Amino acid sequence: MTIGADPSILVVDDDADICRNLSDILTDLGYRVDTATGGRAALELVRQRPYDVALLDLKMPDMDGLTLYREIKKLQADTVAIVVSAYASGAVTEEALNVGAWQVLPKPVDLHRLLRLVGEALDQPLVLVVDDDADLCKSLWDLLRERGYRVCVAHNEKEAAEHFQGKAFRVVLIDLKLPDGDGGAVFRLVRRNDPQARTILITGHRSEMDQLVQQVTTEGVDAVCYKPFDMARLLDLLQRLCKRSDAEPAGAR
Amino acid sequence: MAGLLARSCDSPPYAVILYGARVGFIVCRLLPHYPFPSHWGQGQGQGQGQGRPAMNFDDLFRRYQELQRYVGWSGDDARRVTAIAPLLEPCLPALIDDFYDEIERHPGARKVITGGQAQIERLKGTLRNWLRELLHGPYDMHYVVRRWRVGWKHVDIGLDQVYTNVALSRLRRGLLKAHEERWQGDLGEALATRRALNMLFDLDLAIIEDAYQTEYLARQQRSERLATIGQVAGGVAHELRNPLNVVKTSVYYLLNARQPTAAKTAEHLQRIEKHVMLADGVITAMSSFAKMPVPNLRPFAVESCLREVVENNPLPASVQVVYGFPPALPSALADRDQVAIVFGNLVRNARDAMPNGGLLTFSASSDAGLIAVTVADTGTGIAPEHLHHIMEPLYSTKARGLGLGLALARAILEKNRGSVQAASEPGKGSTFTVRLLAALEAQPEETQS
Repeated sequence: MTIGADPSILVVDDDADICRNLSDILTDLGYRVDTATGGRAALELVRQRPYDVALLDLKMPDMDGLTLYREIKKLQADTVAIVVSAYASGAVTEEALNVGAWQVLPKPVDLHRLLRLVGEALDQPLVLVVDDDADLCKSLWDLLRERGYRVCVAHNEKEAAEHFQGKAFRVVLIDLKLPDGDGGAVFRLVRRNDPQARTILITGHRSEMDQLVQQVTTEGVDAVCYKPFDMARLLDLLQRLCKRSDAEPAGAR
Repeated sequence: MAGLLARSCDSPPYAVILYGARVGFIVCRLLPHYPFPSHWGQGQGQGQGQGRPAMNFDDLFRRYQELQRYVGWSGDDARRVTAIAPLLEPCLPALIDDFYDEIERHPGARKVITGGQAQIERLKGTLRNWLRELLHGPYDMHYVVRRWRVGWKHVDIGLDQVYTNVALSRLRRGLLKAHEERWQGDLGEALATRRALNMLFDLDLAIIEDAYQTEYLARQQRSERLATIGQVAGGVAHELRNPLNVVKTSVYYLLNARQPTAAKTAEHLQRIEKHVMLADGVITAMSSFAKMPVPNLRPFAVESCLREVVENNPLPASVQVVYGFPPALPSALADRDQVAIVFGNLVRNARDAMPNGGLLTFSASSDAGLIAVTVADTGTGIAPEHLHHIMEPLYSTKARGLGLGLALARAILEKNRGSVQAASEPGKGSTFTVRLLAALEAQPEETQS
């Protein structure tokens, strides 16, 4: 969740009245709400600030909801997408979930369910993955998202640093070997910016990096995972670290 | 009907295989007023009770009598057939066995027998009854109804009519052969009896095939109706769910908001009213499409009609409008109000196709008693795969809209003895050409309808 501010929600629907209504309801509950009546306008907003949750209409004149979500995901991968559609057929739902949307709700929307889901989405632990391997990042995103984590991705130290502006992570996964430096620097970056965040070091070089591993371990890294991952162990580790940081249990679906 | 009889005479038939497979004729004796009692085929077929043709027993019998007259069937024929019944009766068991042996050899026919040997034994009994009835009569209403049911039942169980035709042919051949072998009397009488037997078979087949076709068609129409309902429901769903969504969320706000101000409350109430009206408009559009008034054809000037439409459908400043009407364009002969609806739809479509502005050109020409009005935009255009479908009801490529505009335009123009055509190039724009009758100069005020 965003530090020091109300949870933020983006509402996108080509019907301006629906935008106004959802904005009224969510604002009344204390959320910070922005609305857009089209995909392009929505992307303008997403470029300016991060959103915790996006409520997306599926069929809009300038851009369909799933195309919009793909774009949002590139800019803010941790934004949880809830799709609301008058065409919530099985095929539509499946496609939306494949793209990475979290839930698909039919119109007219069941507000009780929607608000419960918004609450649940905001409780999902934020995880940052820092790894230069784009494919690995994508796989981890899908996997962790499926387990109820909100996942941000950074491919280098600079991108990682940008994520710490305004966000607090529950866990940060750090690749030890990065193109513009080593994981140790990222680890120290996390320590400086987000002391509460738990850290997991990931490395594919068991022996030659030994010394570096030793070093960050003494500096306080919580765990080390070796590539290729033992996924069961990694998930278990994540779950324990999220609990230990005295927070809500990992967002159950 | 003539074709059907001719066919059955040339290449005769059979079918009763399954007659009574799930029904005895006791049923119809008990319920003489309903050709197809709803419990017929109890628990076996789907859609039982839906298959009632709009024909009652009396109509059916009258139809049969008409067919009897057509083939020249008389009381003498009936007497001849019933006279040889005792002679042929002993051959029936062998014919019946042969009948079911043959079915075994044809997968298309065999597939409908799902109850194994026990069912075949029952069916043999039914076939025996059918043959006895054929030979003994009486050829009354109940006789006809039972034949009709055979055809109906064959649709129900999925037995193709061709098997009925060939199976009846086989039975006919068997009976005629038995007659040849056993007949000991006068040759002329023998030939007359053969003719009578052939007519009787042809009549049976005609009734069975008629029932088959009637039922088959009825079922096909039912499934087409269901498909149409599905299509309509899908199209309407989106257009109704959006206003309902607004209503629902406003109601939620009114019921649950923690700090609603008076202004907010009023705003939500007004919004509810607005969207109830929008939902109502969707239903109105649907029903006005379903029942369009008869056009009142009168001469009118196309250009002024079009200019009015443009005035009523404001275009953004980014869309430039050009009128290219020749000075001496004849008046059109059509219902001006209805044509205005057509133009309105075309203008709004052109506007929607040019979200970033463009050129909207109206022009007209007249030739051979017709006026062609073109509405051309420089918008997004229509992909070829959509172009074929855009005039179909409930077909829409827009995010919003029922998909009735062009379908309505086409329906209106057909009723006004005009037409509409679309041409388009994706990325360049679309051109719609509306053709209307030109009014004759001599009778400018004439009204036709």
